[in-house]
Amino acid sequence: MSLDQVFLVISLSTYAVSALALVAYFFSRDSWLKNLAVPLVIVGCACQFAQLIARYELTHIWPLLNLYGSLSLFSAMSVAIFIFFAFRYRLWFAGGFVVALAAIFLAYGLTWNEGSLPPVPSLQSYWAKIHVPIVVSSYAAFMVASVISGIYLIKNYLGARPGRGQLWLNTIPSLAQLDVLTYRIVAVGLPLLTVGIITGAWWAKEAWGAYWQWDPKETAALSLWIFYAAYMHLHTRNAFRGTFSAWLGLLGFPLMLFVFLIVNIVIGGPGISLHSYKM
Amino acid sequence: MATAEPTGIGFNVSARVRQGYDDFLRTFSNVLFAVCLFVVWGILTLLGVVIAQGKDGSTYFDLYAAPLARLIVRLGLDNVYHSTAYVGIIGLILLSLAVCTFKRVIPARLPALRPVKVEHLTLHDSFEVPDDPQTVKASVAAFFARRGFLVRKREFNGDEWTFADRHNWARRGVLVAHVGFVIIAAGTAIYWARGFSGDKAILTGQTASIPRTGAALTLRDFQYRIQPIQTKSGMVYQPVDYVSRVRVSGSSDPPHDAVIRVNHPIDVNGTLIYQSSYGFGMQFAVRQYGKPVGGLPPQTLKEGDALTLPQTTRQIQYAQFVPTIDKATGAATADPRISNPGVVLNVFDDGQPVGATLARLGKPVDLGGGFSIVPQRYVLYSGLQYRYDPGIPLVGIGAFVLLAGLCISFYLLPARFYVRVEIAPDGSRVGMAATTVKGSDIFAGEFAALTAALKESRA
Ligand code: HEM
Repeated sequence: MSLDQVFLVISLSTYAVSALALVAYFFSRDSWLKNLAVPLVIVGCACQFAQLIARYELTHIWPLLNLYGSLSLFSAMSVAIFIFFAFRYRLWFAGGFVVALAAIFLAYGLTWNEGSLPPVPSLQSYWAKIHVPIVVSSYAAFMVASVISGIYLIKNYLGARPGRGQLWLNTIPSLAQLDVLTYRIVAVGLPLLTVGIITGAWWAKEAWGAYWQWDPKETAALSLWIFYAAYMHLHTRNAFRGTFSAWLGLLGFPLMLFVFLIVNIVIGGPGISLHSYKM
Repeated sequence: MATAEPTGIGFNVSARVRQGYDDFLRTFSNVLFAVCLFVVWGILTLLGVVIAQGKDGSTYFDLYAAPLARLIVRLGLDNVYHSTAYVGIIGLILLSLAVCTFKRVIPARLPALRPVKVEHLTLHDSFEVPDDPQTVKASVAAFFARRGFLVRKREFNGDEWTFADRHNWARRGVLVAHVGFVIIAAGTAIYWARGFSGDKAILTGQTASIPRTGAALTLRDFQYRIQPIQTKSGMVYQPVDYVSRVRVSGSSDPPHDAVIRVNHPIDVNGTLIYQSSYGFGMQFAVRQYGKPVGGLPPQTLKEGDALTLPQTTRQIQYAQFVPTIDKATGAATADPRISNPGVVLNVFDDGQPVGATLARLGKPVDLGGGFSIVPQRYVLYSGLQYRYDPGIPLVGIGAFVLLAGLCISFYLLPARFYVRVEIAPDGSRVGMAATTVKGSDIFAGEFAALTAALKESRA
């Protein structure tokens, strides 16, 4: 087993265990579960970055320019962004869902592993090392935001139905706090996506002659940008904070998946998208 | 002096114009209207992602059911991004943005210093301290100043209010973001007005002029490199380099040689020329009953080009170059390296397809009626793109201004404290409230911490 595979196995297994522990923590609030899971999540995330570096060392090809590489980075960045917010805003209660999703995306990414393929000429640029991680990080932030929105909606739904779960519900931050948290995470994702689009445009200018080609991947990223710009504008109005914003936050997840994966796998192909990974 | 009374009709018209103008301002300055515009913009953008753009009409009838294909073509969804609807929606967004910035954002984000009903605001608190009001006012001002707040005092009807603002300058972040978007739009408009672009497929040895630059490029040589790589799901032939060696003449520089490769364009009189693709030109010989046929265009055909057989309605299209034909099976292989090349020919009669064939280089293909065609010699061509875009610097500046605006708006939270100190039976009573540009929930924790710290400092 090569070094990158060792790191990969460690990340996947630590994510699996910590996701289970954190989901159990979400329901039980037994702090030992959190104490067990937090170090595991950190180790798993560190191993994922180590795996990307080891893969680069082995192949001398940046592990970003195919779906396997970008999904690995997406999964690692989701966990890294989550860890940052979890420490800053005591968000560990939501960790099980984020880590489970990260593990699923990492496992799915493995199915796209074709070994080491050098990039096509237009991707042989230093911009690839700047643009791809930034865009993928913005997707990761949107995923974390959608998990918090989902928890908001669960709390909102159950909170309106008095019953046995109320005590448990009280252990989750207030709806207002969850709304602000989603906003704060989107406020990380949207500037990242903006920088991603700008660096992509810069790169496109060098590679394909025009900074904007109306390529499906570019326009899909633009639609995601428009979506979150609309979210931010609605959030400036009291009446739209809360449930409405949370629905939007949740809806952002399928849209992000569409932009990230469906456009590459289903829509864009050689001759249609300049961003096809299947070339 | 007598003034002219407005006539009934004249008055009505001007009142209606006024009313219409007010309605326009109200609608276009409403964030919800802007969000509706965003939704339409987003949906149109997504339609362009899902529906392949810029294909010819028949492609849509091949791809979709006839009613859907007709809808796509009729509504112009085959070219969404250059449609009137798309440009129009961006125009409306710009208009709304301009109206809103002056009507709403500036007044709302830069509110005047005014007294408030403290207990009516969501974030409010009050407490009593044993000191006299003057001392308390001074220490409240010092408390906020120490924490970087901008402290201002104003008197209203004899009452003195202290206003403490945090990140006051950042209230302009929205303006910065909006201005950034306008600058990007201006840069794009400059390209539409003065820029140009296009592509050229130049055969090896051929010279092509680049429109509007006065320059000409002669392709001396084109090379590409393909690397076969064994992957888990089979052999992949990965292109690793495309290089065009050209001679540039007619530009402001003396004639010179240059190399164009992907990601490394050259600049000819301010127009950038990029490597974008490559292909194979093919020279064909057409014979009838063994004799060369005259009257055919002599030039080399590029993939997609067609020739018509003299005195017939028959067209032969050079559809595709096949680098390697399997010698055993006679079928095209996926190997893009040239070892046993050939071409795919499509035959049309009166515009209707009648067949297709794979022909090896040098081997004649019988076309019926005594005609035969031989693919004789292939020549590489280089696909180059050229583009002159004087709007780029403005788009770049706009992008950075927009980004700066987003960061200011999202990461700095302007907050204002309203503090009023009154005389109380045992000293002074401090009433304070706070507002932010993003509602109160986002500041609740900090408000509680600051009021607690203020109380503690006075205890
Ligand atoms: C695509 C272009 C636009 C960009 C990039 C943009 C950007 C922004 C940003 C970053 C904010 C701050 C959000 C926050 O603090 O959370 C904002 C707020 C705002 N924008 Fe835009 N905006 C755009 C278009 C528009 C349009 C067309 C309107 C017209 C109605 C508009 C009206 C507003 C308003 C009213 C606010 C909130 C001001 C307030 O109440 O504090 N924006 N915009």
